[in-house]
Amino acid sequence: MTATPVQERPRARRPATAKRRRPRPLGLRLAPYLFLLPNMLIFGVFTIYPAVNGFNLSLYDSRNLRTFNYVGTRNYERILSDEQFLSVVVNTLLFVVAFVAVSTTLSVLFAVLLDAQKRGRAFFRAVLFLPVLLSPVIVGLVWGWLLDRNTGLVNSVLGTVGLGQPGWLVEPRLALSAVVLVGVWTHLGFYSLIMLAGLQSIDANLYEAADLDGAGAWRKLTQITLPLLKPTTMVVLILATINGFQAFDFIYTLTGGGPVGATTLIVQFIYEKAFQSPIRYGLASAGSVLLFLTVFTITLINWLIGRRQEAT
Amino acid sequence: MTQSTTETTTAPAPRWVTTRQKAPSVADVSRVAVLATMAILVLVPIVWTFLSSFKTSSELAERPPSLLPDSFGLDNYTTALASFNFAIYLRNSVIVVVGATLLTLAINSMAAYALAKYNFRGRDVLFMLTLATIMIPLQVILIPVYQVTAQLGLVNTLWGMIIPAAATPTGVFLLRQYMLTIPDDLIQAARIDGAGEFRTFISVVLPICKPALAVLAIFSVVWRWNDFLWPLIIAQNENVYTLPVAVARFAGQQVVPFNLILAMSVVSMVPVIVVFLFTQRHIVQGIASTGIKG
Repeated sequence: MTATPVQERPRARRPATAKRRRPRPLGLRLAPYLFLLPNMLIFGVFTIYPAVNGFNLSLYDSRNLRTFNYVGTRNYERILSDEQFLSVVVNTLLFVVAFVAVSTTLSVLFAVLLDAQKRGRAFFRAVLFLPVLLSPVIVGLVWGWLLDRNTGLVNSVLGTVGLGQPGWLVEPRLALSAVVLVGVWTHLGFYSLIMLAGLQSIDANLYEAADLDGAGAWRKLTQITLPLLKPTTMVVLILATINGFQAFDFIYTLTGGGPVGATTLIVQFIYEKAFQSPIRYGLASAGSVLLFLTVFTITLINWLIGRRQEAT
Repeated sequence: MTQSTTETTTAPAPRWVTTRQKAPSVADVSRVAVLATMAILVLVPIVWTFLSSFKTSSELAERPPSLLPDSFGLDNYTTALASFNFAIYLRNSVIVVVGATLLTLAINSMAAYALAKYNFRGRDVLFMLTLATIMIPLQVILIPVYQVTAQLGLVNTLWGMIIPAAATPTGVFLLRQYMLTIPDDLIQAARIDGAGEFRTFISVVLPICKPALAVLAIFSVVWRWNDFLWPLIIAQNENVYTLPVAVARFAGQQVVPFNLILAMSVVSMVPVIVVFLFTQRHIVQGIASTGIKG
């Protein structure tokens, strides 16, 4: 109720004083709420209300979002015994683990390399970051074209070196690997940049002290850089995990979820259940709630581990 | 790989001795080799797409592929824009990007100002709520958001793509952090001069925030330009397709020849690359300080 950096509470019982000093005119008291209104309105309507309502929707069966049929936990029972959903879960977990492992490792590597690189650092950093800004749909499309078994550039190059023509997007396991690699290609610059920022915030005196003690580059890396980079690594791990579970855009044009569903991940499953016939909003909502709980739990665990490590 | 590079710089006979004496240079060379490999892996697909976007269908089918197109004529571009309605999709994309960015800047900066420079009941709760929604990506609330949007009659409209994503929590956070650094005295002085609250905000606060607004504008342009999942759901009629939606849909259905799809892919990539070249420093610093993604 108190508005602005007001020094003193004006007394309501003495209107004369209040009127003379006018410390909190009505406009001033209302101002913050009016400033917040448009943002919070959109926020409430398009984020907060749907977030709450999402749980609700997962308890109903609906094919048109107008008539709803209360089914209790039946959507969850059905989705958890759905074979397609279970394979989607396996695909998603495989993808997320590989994606997080590869991109976190490489982001540490590139942050260390960029930090050590004096000449041309800005150039390499810019190049590494560039894919982050490109439309994921276009990235998926271009890589799908490059990785085409018979006509793609990748196999043209491999063919001339005599490495055969792997069916990148045709063989299930290879396709999932291709999806992981394209995902890493897209996101790596972002994670590396965060790592680099973390790296450059490490106290330079530590390295000077290590130099005086005659420590080599390897010891400095393992004894100073990597331990002190742990909090930043945690941030990147969480971001990569969340991004991994959200992956959809580039896969849509890279493999479309194929071959035979080998690269169909959870978001695509939700999208298809909700927006392609036969439409099953309840089932899709149940999938969304499970995705939300997974991402939330993993974030929480990551965060708790991070805190414990900081404490010790 | 690293040895062959050192060979060229040092005499062959005492190679072992020299490399050992110049131990750091081996590290240097392998580091540059790794970074250069990375640069090639990033740039080749982009450059290859650019070059190929000028090729005809038959040139694209050539095996082995030729590096350069026969001509750098703009046929693919003009055909896609004129004969396949890509001019409309491009226009839709531009309207959504400009509209959403202006709306985001306006409402985010107002909200940030309230959260940074006023004391009022519920401020901290609202700020925490705003931050917490960073944890709720669109993917997990897709259906309820779609339901609301449908009820408001915004499906198949450009407004349906502009409004729902405009209240970005990251934008509020970024601007609030920046506004916290504005001295209260400055705002108080404006008030004493008789400027109203809104006037103070417009003519005192916003001009100071230009750098932060620029960063948010850059991010917003890139976010909205590349947006896919939401426009894919909202744009069910071809006349409201944005560029990424059109490219993805038509590439999948093979309605549009692939050389035209490549040309439109380049149209999608060029603006962000240009924005990046000119604003690289802002983007890099914005990410380093806030962890916001482009």
